[in-house]
Amino acid sequence: MSFLHGILLFGAAAFLIPLIIHLLNKRKVVTVRWGAMHLLHEVIRQRKRKMKVEQLLLLIIRIAIPIVLALCLARPVLTALRSLGLGSSSLIVMLDDSFSMRAPAAQTTLPGGTVMQQARQDMQTMITDLPDGSSAQVVLSGGTPRKLLDQATTDRTLIPKQLSEVPSMSGPLSANDAFQAATSALKDSPNATREVVIVSDFQEADWKAIADGAALPALETISKQEPKPQITFYRVGSDLAENISIASADISALVAAESQPIGLRVRIKNHGKRPWQDIPVHLEADGARLRTARVSLAPEGEAVLSFTHAFDKVGDHALSVRLEGDSFADDNAFHSIVQVRNQLNVLLIDGSPGKEPLSGATDFLEIALTPHTVAAATLKDLIRTKKIDLRKIRNEDLRQQEVIIMADVEKLQGHTQNEIDKFVKEGGGLLVFAGPDCDLDWYNREFFRKGEGMYPAAIKGQARADSDSLPARILMQRFTHPSALYFNDARAGRLQDAEFRHWLELTPQGDQTQRIFNLDRNVPLMIEKKYGRGRVIASATTANAEWSNLPLQPFFVPLMQRLTTYLATVGSAPAWQLVGSTIRLPLEKAELGAEFTLRDPTGQTQTLKSAKEGDAVFVQSHSITQPGIFQLQKVGTEKTTLLAFNIDGTESDLKALSSADIQKIAKRYDAAFADTLPAYQALDRTRRHGSELWQPLLILLLGLLFVEVLLQQHIAKG
Amino acid sequence: MATLSDILQAEDITSLQTLQLFARTVVEGFTTGQHASPHKGFSVEFRQHRPYVQGDEIRRLDWKIFGRTDRFYIREFDEETNLRATVVLDASGSMGYRGQKGILKFDYARKLAASLAYLLMSQQDAVGLITFDSKIRDVIPCRTKITHLHLLLETMVKTEPGKDTSLAPVLESLAQRLKRRGLVILISDFFDDPAALLRSIGVLRKKGHEIIALQLWDRDEIDFPFGNWARFENLENYDDFLLLDPATIRQRYIEAQQNFAAQLKEGFRKHQVDYLSLPTDESHSAALRSYLALRMR
Repeated sequence: MSFLHGILLFGAAAFLIPLIIHLLNKRKVVTVRWGAMHLLHEVIRQRKRKMKVEQLLLLIIRIAIPIVLALCLARPVLTALRSLGLGSSSLIVMLDDSFSMRAPAAQTTLPGGTVMQQARQDMQTMITDLPDGSSAQVVLSGGTPRKLLDQATTDRTLIPKQLSEVPSMSGPLSANDAFQAATSALKDSPNATREVVIVSDFQEADWKAIADGAALPALETISKQEPKPQITFYRVGSDLAENISIASADISALVAAESQPIGLRVRIKNHGKRPWQDIPVHLEADGARLRTARVSLAPEGEAVLSFTHAFDKVGDHALSVRLEGDSFADDNAFHSIVQVRNQLNVLLIDGSPGKEPLSGATDFLEIALTPHTVAAATLKDLIRTKKIDLRKIRNEDLRQQEVIIMADVEKLQGHTQNEIDKFVKEGGGLLVFAGPDCDLDWYNREFFRKGEGMYPAAIKGQARADSDSLPARILMQRFTHPSALYFNDARAGRLQDAEFRHWLELTPQGDQTQRIFNLDRNVPLMIEKKYGRGRVIASATTANAEWSNLPLQPFFVPLMQRLTTYLATVGSAPAWQLVGSTIRLPLEKAELGAEFTLRDPTGQTQTLKSAKEGDAVFVQSHSITQPGIFQLQKVGTEKTTLLAFNIDGTESDLKALSSADIQKIAKRYDAAFADTLPAYQALDRTRRHGSELWQPLLILLLGLLFVEVLLQQHIAKG
Repeated sequence: MATLSDILQAEDITSLQTLQLFARTVVEGFTTGQHASPHKGFSVEFRQHRPYVQGDEIRRLDWKIFGRTDRFYIREFDEETNLRATVVLDASGSMGYRGQKGILKFDYARKLAASLAYLLMSQQDAVGLITFDSKIRDVIPCRTKITHLHLLLETMVKTEPGKDTSLAPVLESLAQRLKRRGLVILISDFFDDPAALLRSIGVLRKKGHEIIALQLWDRDEIDFPFGNWARFENLENYDDFLLLDPATIRQRYIEAQQNFAAQLKEGFRKHQVDYLSLPTDESHSAALRSYLALRMR
């Protein structure tokens, strides 16, 4: 306990005044000689003890009043809460730089400012208020958490300067990842007293699960550290509740042939409570507006619009959808790149060619990849297939191919395997279907090679569903692989209709693999592996109808087409990326040292230089901070690559957690909560200097005065 | 020799001369006056003749009838008797209280007693005086002679408030002393145990006495106006004292005083005793006037 105006404590001596008055009153008694003593005795007999207590109480209250008044004026400070280090501290600010922070701020001191601008301004004050010698570090927590500075700084001007360049375009905040990053930043803190402040809009999409009880192990770790860091949840909110956005857009084909119509399915979502009528939605190709559709949205409803367009020139084309209407415009557009090619060459290696139609291992595949050619239709197929018997394969057959598909191949001869290995490492795609002829020992030993080989998984053996049991089906879940995204929409086909009687039990290993589809027996159906610059996808089932009825399903055609076009384009730029990620394009070795010009959607350019990492040569940019179409042009050539960047759709739902929910989370981890800068500053002062007690003392003083009056009246009434 | 003017102011005497005291009940008397008497004696108002019986006074024989009829007859008259009024004056210690207005309670009581004596004697009633504290101090029997008034006043003047009050035994002994029925005027603060007091009043009433109770209060004893801390000492016993802050018990004291007065009033009413509570800051003649008006009903 300390006092801001200690000298005023002497005022407490005023307690002597009522005491002296009390004593003097007792001494200055007058003597009354009278006869009605029996009446006095009667009164006193009932109340003598009570009167003594009341008189004593009254005296105590009267003595307490000047003491409390003096204490109040002296402004005592309770220092029990004072944090251990009186001096400098280390502040780690976890700043949510997700896209939702660009919404207009609710209580801003900057008219028209965004939540992020408000957060920046508040953070500047927080950092300025730090005691001398304190250090600060910012962890940008949206998308992939990263430190703003390489090391914590004591320069108070550096962080605000650096923050002004943060565009707040990151994807959703992953709280646990962000706290992990903060834990790492805490380790580098130079001071014993440490503070962690989470500055966020606490968007419901990011925090709801945590408010509902989901664990935050990383925060738990922080809160158990010794000495324990002071953790504060600081909310900067938006009052914007109405927002419409393009939630997602699916393109029917990642690669198209000239004049081949491409379907674009756009999902438009209303996140607010008001209905929207006739919102114009524009389709733009290569920057030119092609057509406009209108859509109406119910409160919190969504609508799906479909567009088709055919490009007549070979090359990269930009395709955008844009809607108009709401005030929060950054999420109103979706951009994608469509590759238009003359043709895409696919080699089908058939391990067991059939004599009867559709009995061969690749017969269904051939139809699925070239449906127009097989049907002798006038429309042109993008994919051109070349089917070859495994036994007759030659090295020349692999040339000019972009994707190789193996079906029911027993094993590969050494030279063929080497050629295919080389083909994939250089960026080719390989799709391997299982079959009864496969030599599983060879696959494990030579093809998988304990994770070193091309094949993505070890094979435990062959599994089957008995005739009396239900067949295996595709496990319906949200698919995340680029080639499978299209099937998240039920209109793309009923994947669960496919029945599997036999399959290989694949056990993926290593972090280079990704499951594309799973069977409902908790085994993968398709797994992808990065191998060199290329990709290999292994299927646990056959490409014909021998083990399953998959080839008989209507979705087999788009599925095979997508897998193939995906494998054919993995070396090139993706159709679109999330804002916050980087551009990284593989180059030929000869291109090492080449310069590229990157032009952003606003027309500004920057120069990038190709670099080498291991054997790979590539060109890489910093994190992209705005959505739109980017152009990457090799200096001195006409070769231009288009790249599309979009923001994460989940960030468009601006609904935030209530204060009560945030407090609930904070309480769980013994953290504090503030939603205004003055509240944070008061909290900070309390931690740093202790808690001022004059307010409760003033209330006590008023209470004492009140009780004194009441007691006096009570005594007077007898 | 004490005179009335030693006690009463001139204006009081003038005021009192206009008052008439009428006895409400018939009491024994031996001088003609304004009080009707059930006793038959010799007087101007003839009532009847009746045959002589042994024991009748010889002087009451009607000799004219004896001369005519040779029989003894007694002449009976309606008699107008005197009121025998005994003023019983409390001279206990509690009557020695002099309040903040400077009025001594006993002084007020003395004036009141003198006024009553004067009134009664001016209408030919016999007036006696008894003073007491813990026991009877002076007893002056009832007389009608105007010179008797001086004796009464002299006794009053020389009496000073003294020891503690023991009203109940005093009244009981009074019942023994007053052989003949009459009016007993009690002037006191009645600071005694109400139950014992009322019991002794009952004894007096049974003897056929009419009682007037005049209770005197100093204004301080009614309002309890004391402010500062005070040491209250008993006038009748200085060892009995209380040190207290009067403000803290004022309300309760007033309630206790009102209860005490009400208790007495109710007790007197039950015994058919006329009761009047008289604050000493009121003019005693005015208070008496209102009481007499009550008596004239």
